[in-house]
Amino acid sequence: MDLNTDAIAISDLHKYYGRFHALQGINLTIRKGEKVVVCGPSGSGKSTLIRCINQLEEHDAGDIRVFGTLLDDNVGSIDEIRREVGMVFQHFNLFPHMTVLENCTLAPTLVRKISRAEAEKTAMRFLEKVRIPDQAHKFPGQLSGGQQQRVAIARALCMQPHILLFDEPTSALDPEMIAEVLDVMVSLATEGMTMVCVTHEMGFARKVADRVIFMDKGEIVEEAPPEEFFSAPKNERSKLFLAQVLGH
Amino acid sequence: MTLATDFRPRHSRLYRLRRAYFASPLTGLVTLLSVAILAWLAWIVLDWTVLQATFDADANQAICAERAGACWSVIANRWRIILFGLYPLDEQWRAGVACAVVALVIVLSCLPLMWRFSRLALVWVLGTAVFYTLMRGGIFGLVPVNEQQWGGLPLTLFIFVATGILGMPLAIGLALMRRSELPVIARVSGWIIDTIRSLPLLAILFTCAIVLPFMLPGFLIGEKLYRVIFGAALFFAAYQAEIIRGGFQGIPRGQEEAAKALGLGYWQRMGKVVLPQAFRLALPATINQFVIAFMETSLVVVVGFMELLAASNTAFRTGEWRFAYIEVYVFISAIYFAFVFGLSRYGAWLEARMSAGQRKD
Ligand SMILES: Nc1ncnc2c1ncn2[C@@H]1O[C@H](COP(=O)(O)OP(=O)(O)O)[C@@H](O)[C@H]1O
Ligand SMILES: [Mg+2]
Repeated sequence: MDLNTDAIAISDLHKYYGRFHALQGINLTIRKGEKVVVCGPSGSGKSTLIRCINQLEEHDAGDIRVFGTLLDDNVGSIDEIRREVGMVFQHFNLFPHMTVLENCTLAPTLVRKISRAEAEKTAMRFLEKVRIPDQAHKFPGQLSGGQQQRVAIARALCMQPHILLFDEPTSALDPEMIAEVLDVMVSLATEGMTMVCVTHEMGFARKVADRVIFMDKGEIVEEAPPEEFFSAPKNERSKLFLAQVLGH
Repeated sequence: MTLATDFRPRHSRLYRLRRAYFASPLTGLVTLLSVAILAWLAWIVLDWTVLQATFDADANQAICAERAGACWSVIANRWRIILFGLYPLDEQWRAGVACAVVALVIVLSCLPLMWRFSRLALVWVLGTAVFYTLMRGGIFGLVPVNEQQWGGLPLTLFIFVATGILGMPLAIGLALMRRSELPVIARVSGWIIDTIRSLPLLAILFTCAIVLPFMLPGFLIGEKLYRVIFGAALFFAAYQAEIIRGGFQGIPRGQEEAAKALGLGYWQRMGKVVLPQAFRLALPATINQFVIAFMETSLVVVVGFMELLAASNTAFRTGEWRFAYIEVYVFISAIYFAFVFGLSRYGAWLEARMSAGQRKD
């Protein structure tokens, strides 16, 4: 693991689900500190792509390197990368049988072997950061969707990862709760976190993204800075998608 | 003025009772009838067990027959054989203490506070060691008592607890294997579970007690009692494994993914995320399985063990108490009932505790 190289380097990545060719040769390099927004129609392979980065999905061909470490069959490399790459899911996936605080301290104590007291201190710091420290002793089921997603972000941050992956973090939220989650994400972005976000929140993309990546049918179709992508998409499929998402 | 009434609780207890039981003339009638029947039954029971009963330990059949109620004299005279079977009379204090030890092991195992691998292991190993030393003797100046002479309540409790202690880890192992990503392992586990479940418990007990010694090398045969417990544990594990698998199926896939993404290893994911949730979902069925396992301890009589039920049967097999079998059965029913009722109350308490603070959206 070498923090001076590219955060993520993917070359010629292929993924099959049975016969279905879900990723068809993805090449993508993400620098340290870069914020990349991935968008595209449903079923285009966005989730599959980011889930390959922390190996929730195994890829079938191609190389994935995270800070120089090659992801291969070696279990050690997967463990190493999962420690450095956090993930936030569409449906939060908080552990319902643990309090918010326990959710946040579980991985640091088990995986990083930090003492409980230390882990709780860190957890409270990140819970404050996502503006929810007063809920630390509640169970996830007692929180609103927006609160749960902010806890999920804090939980990922507690592992002090170098990269955060977001898979449609606001898609399962009621409209009035989207902003509170996006605010937290924006503040993370300004602090220099390397972020890969699958999202259709175009306002967020405009504000923080260094690059927007448009995927369709398992390929990266277009890749551009946000202003360029939104104002002058080059590809026909991007144009069509933008027209649908932006509603004109 | 409506304001004043607003300060009263909307529904007083009396109001709620009336609405639940006397909502209409018909429900009122049903309620009264039920209460009357219950009262009548309660009276019969009370009359037989207490009011008309004979408690005198020196009484015999003729004296008992003078009164219409139960003849508890049989218990006073035969309680030792009911509770301890053929365990040597002078050593029965050991069997009594051993019972208390098993009971303590059960209580400790039920406390959520103890649910750490190290703590449970400690309680189980220590409990078993103390129980075995007390019952078997042969050291510390205790007279040796062969397993064949064990009987009654300590035997029943020991078989039950040992079945659970061996069976539960086995069940977890089988259930985890069954959901393995390696098809071979999953299939082997499925095959084991289905095979055991397709055999009646009696056949398994017979096999372990009688057939196994012909098949195993000498050093593996061991005491019949432990072979039988092993068989009962296998049987328990096969069913419990399926119960746990049902629990697994109720857990969203995202739970394990989140744990993976946080870097948790396989055993950490299982121990902290998957199994606790699976057990929560499987709790009612698990309690049920334990109740069944307790009842089924009485089957070991067929391979020659005098557990509680069999010991009770011998209690009235002597000429003078032959008439008092109902009293004996009522007595051990009370023991079984206390145990099973306690277990189901415990299950309800655990369920309430687990769902506290958890809202399902
Ligand atoms: N576990 C799976 N098994 C089979 N097909 C899958 C699986 N996961 C995803 N797919 C298919 O792969 C394609 C890409 O899925 P996904 O990456 O989830 O798309 P997106 O996140 O862009 O909506 C979809 O057509 C989907 O049906
Ligand atoms: Mg998706």
